[in-house]
Amino acid sequence: MPSMPSRRRALLAAASALVVLAVATGCSAGGAPEQAGTAAARTADSATSATDPATSLQAIAPVTDAKSVTGASTATLTTDLPPKASTVDEPELPVTVTDNQDTEVTVTSADRILALDVYGTLSSTVYGLGLGGNLVGRDVSTGFAGTEELPLVTQNGHELSAEAILALRPTVLLTDTSLGPWDVVLQIRKAGIPVVVVDSHRDTSNTDRIIDQVATALGVPETGARLVDEVHEQQEAVAAQVARIAPQSKADKLRMVFLYVRGNAGIYYLFGQESGADSLIDAVGGRDIATEQDWKGMRPVNAEALVAMQSDLVIMMTKGLESVGGVDGLLQRVPAIAKTPAGQHRRIVDMADTTVMSFGPRTPEIVAALAVAIYAPEWSR
Amino acid sequence: MTGLEARVAPAPNVAVPPPVASRSRVGRITLLTVGLVVALVVATLVSASVGQLGISPAEVLRAVGRSIGLPVAGPSDDLVTQALWTIRFPRVVMALVIGAALAAAGVLMQAVFANPLADPGVVGVSGGAAFGACASIVFGLQFAGYWTTPLMAFAAGLVATMLVYGLSRAGGRTEVVTLLLTGIAVNAFTGAGLAFLTFLGDQQAREQIVFWQLGSLNGSMWDQAAAIAPVVGLGLVGSVVLTRSLDLLSLGDRAARHVGVRVEAVRIVAIVVVALLVGAAVAFAGIIAFVGLVVPHLMRMLIGPAHGPLLLVSTLGGALLLTIADLLARTLVPYADLPIGMLTSLVGGPFFFWLLRRARRRSGGWA
Repeated sequence: MPSMPSRRRALLAAASALVVLAVATGCSAGGAPEQAGTAAARTADSATSATDPATSLQAIAPVTDAKSVTGASTATLTTDLPPKASTVDEPELPVTVTDNQDTEVTVTSADRILALDVYGTLSSTVYGLGLGGNLVGRDVSTGFAGTEELPLVTQNGHELSAEAILALRPTVLLTDTSLGPWDVVLQIRKAGIPVVVVDSHRDTSNTDRIIDQVATALGVPETGARLVDEVHEQQEAVAAQVARIAPQSKADKLRMVFLYVRGNAGIYYLFGQESGADSLIDAVGGRDIATEQDWKGMRPVNAEALVAMQSDLVIMMTKGLESVGGVDGLLQRVPAIAKTPAGQHRRIVDMADTTVMSFGPRTPEIVAALAVAIYAPEWSR
Repeated sequence: MTGLEARVAPAPNVAVPPPVASRSRVGRITLLTVGLVVALVVATLVSASVGQLGISPAEVLRAVGRSIGLPVAGPSDDLVTQALWTIRFPRVVMALVIGAALAAAGVLMQAVFANPLADPGVVGVSGGAAFGACASIVFGLQFAGYWTTPLMAFAAGLVATMLVYGLSRAGGRTEVVTLLLTGIAVNAFTGAGLAFLTFLGDQQAREQIVFWQLGSLNGSMWDQAAAIAPVVGLGLVGSVVLTRSLDLLSLGDRAARHVGVRVEAVRIVAIVVVALLVGAAVAFAGIIAFVGLVVPHLMRMLIGPAHGPLLLVSTLGGALLLTIADLLARTLVPYADLPIGMLTSLVGGPFFFWLLRRARRRSGGWA
C-alpha cells in the first residue's frame, strides 16, 4: 500500500497494535482459570511421569462390598507430565501422509508444532513422542508442566483464531474436527502450512490410532510404535489392577453415570454411548447405566429418569460440581440425585474438566486416578 | 376476530361504552371457562400421574392420599412417595404458574400496546431478562446467593419493558411499526450484549449461559415455586384490577381520557405488572416463547375482546397449554428431557405465521 497517506498508516498500525494487545490479554484472561484448575488437580509431592500408574492401585485391597462405601472424592493425576516414550528418535522428514480426512499432506519440518484439540490429547501425544519442546502454542485444555508459558491460540474456549496461529509461524498444525470454525483450518492450509487432521473420536480404545497418526505425521513412526506399546502395557497393568480390586459379578458392580452439570439451570446432560464416558466407566469396572438404557451421546436427562436409574456413583467434572456449590449444593439443588444411592451415600467422584475426558497417552493414568477415587475414596479427598 | 379489528382500528372519537356482553356471549364465556377448568384439572391429574418414574396413577393417588393424611395404604416404596413430592409435583405446579403468568402477560401487553403482535418475546422483554441473568453468571454476582440470577433476570426484564415502552411511544400512542422496530432494536441490543458476555466469560460461564438459555422446567423445586407463586399471584390480581381500564383504553386514548381513565398511569402500572409476570416466569424456567402470544389470540377469537373474561380464560388456557407442553417435554423420549421452549415455539411459530396471513387477508394488513 504505497499510496496510503502516512497518517492513515499510523492509525492502522495503532489499531492493529490494539488488536494484538486485545488478543494477548484475552488469551491470558481465558487461560488463567484453566491453569489454576490443572495446578489444583496436581498433587504436591510428585513432578515426574516415570511412575507406572498401576502402582498407585497396588496398595488397594479388593473391594468386596463396593456399594457400602460412602463419601465424595476427587480423582487427581499424580504426575505433572504425560508419559514419554522410553527412547525417542529424531524426526525423519519430509514425509507425506494421508490424514484422517483422506487429504494428502506433506510435512517438511517438525521444528514448530501446533497440536490443538478440545481435550488437549494431541499436545500430550506430541510430548510423549519427545517433541514437547517443539510446541509453539497450546489449546485451552493443555496445561501440563512446561506449557504454561506457551501462547494460547483458542479464543472463547474452543474457537481457533487464524491470525494468532499464523503469527506463531508453525511448520505443522495437528488438529481434529473438535475445534472450529473449520474455515480457519482451511485458511491455514491455504496459507501453506501443512494441516494434519487426526481422528476426533476419544475413548480408551483408540489411543493407538491417535498416537500412530501423530507420530507418522511428525516423522517419528518408530517412537510412536514404542509409545503405543508402552501405553498399552500401562493400560493392561491398570486393567489387571482394576480387575483385582473391583467387584466382578454384575450385581455387585457399581452402577455409574457420568453427569454434566453447569450452574442452576435445571439441565443436566447424561453422557452415554460413544461419548467416551462409557469407555471410562467400563475401564474402572463399573456398569454404565446410560449405555444399558441405550442412551446415545450427550443429551439432557429427565430428573425422574435419573431417579429411576438408581445409580450407585456419579462421575462429574470438577468445575461443574463447583458451579452448583459442591456436593452439598448438588444434593440440595438436584433432588433427583439425592434420591439415588449415589446421593444418599454422597458417592460423587469429580475430576478436572480438562483431564477426565482427555484420553490419549494419559489414559492409563486417568483410569488409575478414577479407580483410586472410586475404590479407595479416603485416599483422594 | 372482532377483537383484532377493534384493536387495530380503534374508533377514537366514538364514546361507546365498554363491550356489553350479550346473552349468548355470556353463555359462551361460561362454557369456555367450565371447559378450560375441567381440561386443566384433567391435564394436571394426568401430568401428575405420568412420568419417567414407573409409577401407576393409582399409586400416585395413594401416595398423595397418604401424604395428606388419608387412611389409605401408601406405595410400598417410600422412595416413590418422596420422588413424587420432590421432583414431579413441583414441576407440575411450576408449569401451571408459569403458563398462567405468560398468558396473562400477553393479554396485558396486547392491551397496553393496543397491538395484537405484542408478546414478551417479540418486543425483547425476555431477551432483557436473559441478559440480566447472564450478566450475573459471567460477573459471578452473588449478592443474593442462589437467588441472584433469578433476581437479575427479573430486574433486567423490568428495565427492558420500560425501554420498549418508552422508545416505541410517539405522540401519545404506539404504532405497530415503531413497536416492532423497537422490539428488533432491543432484541439486537440484548443479543449483542449476550454475545459480549459470552466473549467475556470463561468456559464455565459460557456453558452456564447456554444451559440457562435453553430453558427447562426440569429440576423444578418447591422453593422456586414458592418464590414465584406470590409474584405471579400479585401480577394476576393487578391484571384483574386493570381489566376495566384496559377495556376503556381500547377505545383509544382520547375516548378513555374523556371517561376518566388516567391513561399514562394505567399503562405504567400495566407494564410493571407485565414485568412482574414475565420476570417470575423467566427467572427459573428460562425463555418459553409464544405462550403469551398464542393463548390470548385463541381466546379472543372464541369470546371477543372484553378484558375481564379474556384474562380469566387466557390465564386458564396458558396454564393448560404449558402443562400439556411440559408433559410432552418430559415423557416423549425415554429418559430424555426436551427443551420446553423448543416445543412451544414449534407450535407457536406456525401459528404466528397463520395469524399474520389471516389478519392480512381480512383487514388488508397492519401498517
